[in-house]
Amino acid sequence: MTAWIADALIVLGLAVMTLGIYGIVRFPDVYTQLHASSKAAFLGVSALLVAAAMGGEPAIVARVVLIIALLALTTPVAAHAIGQAAHHRREPMRSPDAVDESGTTLAGGGTSSTVE
Amino acid sequence: MRHQAVFLAGITWLAVLLGVAVLWIWRARTTAERLVALDAAVLVLVGLLGLVAGEEQRSYPLDAAGALALLSFVSTLAAARYLGDRRPFEQPDRPAEGPPP
Repeated sequence: MTAWIADALIVLGLAVMTLGIYGIVRFPDVYTQLHASSKAAFLGVSALLVAAAMGGEPAIVARVVLIIALLALTTPVAAHAIGQAAHHRREPMRSPDAVDESGTTLAGGGTSSTVE
Repeated sequence: MRHQAVFLAGITWLAVLLGVAVLWIWRARTTAERLVALDAAVLVLVGLLGLVAGEEQRSYPLDAAGALALLSFVSTLAAARYLGDRRPFEQPDRPAEGPPP
């Protein structure tokens, strides 16, 4: 039974991870790519690690819990740091309907789209 | 047997994804996008090491995965701070030089 759950988790993790990498390749700017990179890739890795821990080996389970906790803490911080750096460098938002809520004019190819 | 095959297929597919991520590090349009791709490539590698550990039911690949995750976090943070602020750390306010007015 656990083998079936582990297999299902592997397939789920691979699918989510593939979507994450596909998003990084396809999304038009760094701000949207961060969604794919941080959320999808983290969730995919978590599913794969849980699948690895389904064997029940205590040493593996302990390390898997540690790594997932570590990634859950560090991935959002790293994504925020990259987004902040891109914003400081005034990288444009290339998405068609982008809205720059920070008051700067990074969205829409230089036209102002500040939220009132 | 089927269980092992799923693990091996997963390892192979993740290796392909790792190749795509590394290719995207190469092809990225801006430095920030390159950083995103680098972060994602390390996450793929952590997942790959997790699958290797699960397939062999040994824990040592997970030690490498944990160290890699930590190193990736520190390096991403330092690179992003350098990219945005041109210095990785906040500088403490220096006391004004010379006599006070």
